[in-house]
Amino acid sequence: MRLTHWAVGFCVVAMVMAAVPYGHAIPAFSRQYGTSCSTCHVDFPKLNDFGKAFKDAGFKFPKDDETFLKVPPVMLGAPAQREMWPHTIFPGSIPGLPAIGLRFNTFFQVYGRNRNNFRPPDSTDPTIPRTDFQPGLFSIFTAGNFGSGIAFWADEDFSVGGSQADGGLGDGYLKFHNIGRLLKLPNDSLNLRIGQFEIDLPFSPARSWNLSGWDIYDEANFGALNGANPQNVNNSFAFSSPGQGLEISGGHQYKGYHYSLAVINQNTSGNTAAADNISPAVGLFSDSNFKDLYGRFQYRFNLERDPASRNEIQAAGATGPRDHTYLQLGTFYFYGRSVQRATGDTGVLVAREPFYRTGGDFSFNYHSLNLFGLYMYGHDKNLLPNAENTGFVSGVPAHFNGGFLEADYLFYPWLMGIMRYDRVQSTADFINGQSGESTNYFSPAGSTRNRITPGIQFLIHANIKASFEYQFRPPQRVFDSEGNPASSPFRTNQAVAGLEWVY
Amino acid sequence: MNRSIVLVLMTVLTFTLAASAGSISGKVSGVSGESVVYVDTIQGKTFPAPAEHLLIDQKGLLFQPHINVVLVGTTVDFLNSDKVAHNVFWPSLMQGTKKLPGKNLGTWPTGEKRPYKFDQPGVAALLCNVHPEMAGYVVVVPTPYFATTDKSGSYKIENVPDGQYNVVAWHEGAKTQSKPVAVAGDTKADFTLSK
Repeated sequence: MRLTHWAVGFCVVAMVMAAVPYGHAIPAFSRQYGTSCSTCHVDFPKLNDFGKAFKDAGFKFPKDDETFLKVPPVMLGAPAQREMWPHTIFPGSIPGLPAIGLRFNTFFQVYGRNRNNFRPPDSTDPTIPRTDFQPGLFSIFTAGNFGSGIAFWADEDFSVGGSQADGGLGDGYLKFHNIGRLLKLPNDSLNLRIGQFEIDLPFSPARSWNLSGWDIYDEANFGALNGANPQNVNNSFAFSSPGQGLEISGGHQYKGYHYSLAVINQNTSGNTAAADNISPAVGLFSDSNFKDLYGRFQYRFNLERDPASRNEIQAAGATGPRDHTYLQLGTFYFYGRSVQRATGDTGVLVAREPFYRTGGDFSFNYHSLNLFGLYMYGHDKNLLPNAENTGFVSGVPAHFNGGFLEADYLFYPWLMGIMRYDRVQSTADFINGQSGESTNYFSPAGSTRNRITPGIQFLIHANIKASFEYQFRPPQRVFDSEGNPASSPFRTNQAVAGLEWVY
Repeated sequence: MNRSIVLVLMTVLTFTLAASAGSISGKVSGVSGESVVYVDTIQGKTFPAPAEHLLIDQKGLLFQPHINVVLVGTTVDFLNSDKVAHNVFWPSLMQGTKKLPGKNLGTWPTGEKRPYKFDQPGVAALLCNVHPEMAGYVVVVPTPYFATTDKSGSYKIENVPDGQYNVVAWHEGAKTQSKPVAVAGDTKADFTLSK
């Protein structure tokens, strides 16, 4: 059993990190437009239909944006200068106020009574506490529009879990909206985004409103080279990590079709720029020649009978506008190649292992109820060193599958109930658990991770939220390298309460 | 001949009434911004509502004008000039400390208006259930003797017949105040409101 106190410490930190989703509401927009967070958010950072349209339009009101701005933008050239181009710089604008928002959250956690069965009885490692207070993240973010349909976004976590070292850049990009107009394509059918960004996932983990992230998005594929069914995969890619690259997209999130195609760095190791890869200009982020590819397509059917209401950004309800009743169906596919290098008997051996992630998703909304889910299948080619250690032979692929199903119900505009089911089933997790390699407190042995997570969230104000969730997990057990139980069964149930504010 | 007599009588009557009508003027202090001052219900007297509708526009995520004073029975047209969906409702109609039921007018497209007749006195705080920062007021008054203050807080209600009245001062977010005022020609009445 190799459960050092470092491993336990890592697990606890990882647990806390897992309980701290990266979400961003935009108070900067509130200031510019003099409007409440709830104009765009149901329960921040969850977007309502108007918020989706605002984002689709490049962080602008979809129509007549200038009439809503309470702080006029600073013109970087008179609009009439356009006629002079190319003999002048094309006129743009910057927000009249620095478009800056701040966010902070903090947590209180309670763990199950038999949590310390995770460790062997004779362990002297630090205990996993029954209760724990945790600082979450403190972030700054800025976003807006520079005119000509050019939107910007950058967010930076000053600290995560109280540690500046764990902070860093979230997303940072420029997005050129509606460039299809230059090619006479239909409106909003072609946008270009460049920088570091979360790929266009059906439900954004970076902007999740849940206290804990969706497990499947955090699933990487690390298979150990031991046990009866060895794996040689070391792929740190997970959907929750931002990528660097470019993306084209089009359509709308609030009606009809939406697509995106992205090319981003392959980064097998999960590390950012290595020290010896720093050039005078910028560092090197990828550790592979290959660039990963991602594609997504979704279609949303707004289900109102009245065509006029169906095609509006929000439906016309009897007592006011509301989000549409809709059914959204989508699919996604990610293709990459992880790289591993090892010293063989004839020199350096390089294993380039193609991998893919694919799946489907749905979202159904009816008045105050939003039911949605996602299924994903992950597959990594498994190249095992041959007996002579001179090359590789194909092993059984390392694969996983799982997803989540979630229901959000808005009892009041300030009170949302949540019920979630998360599931991850991974061959790599199974091998690691059977071989005693796992240091994951939440799934030390199991090939399957299930959890049911009821939760509730209160908006104290539109920008202050109190959240609570309880994570029910099945019993877990640690096994030794022979596959014998090395611990009593235990549950990793966890209660988390969070408070956060943005402004 | 008969017509001439009627005209003469009407002229005499008009001058007589004008001679006995004064004004109430003064200052509302303790608050900043627009206040409403009006003569409260006069026992035994009713006043016909104007035929013209008042227009309140939802524009730029604002109710414009922000504060509106209408005589009981006046119809207000609510217009949505924004290219976003709006709604108009008021949770209650406040008559002093008494709460009467409010009204939700629903939602309607850009450029269209929806009329509503205010047939009871009171204060309706207009809200939009999509944009919670939006607010406006309709102060429904029982007499045509009302005025709003200027930036300095000064007001003047013209053509108030001489007599004994209750005069009310209302300001957004402040405690409403009323006081008896004996109007005889040009009369002064100052108010100091507090939140």
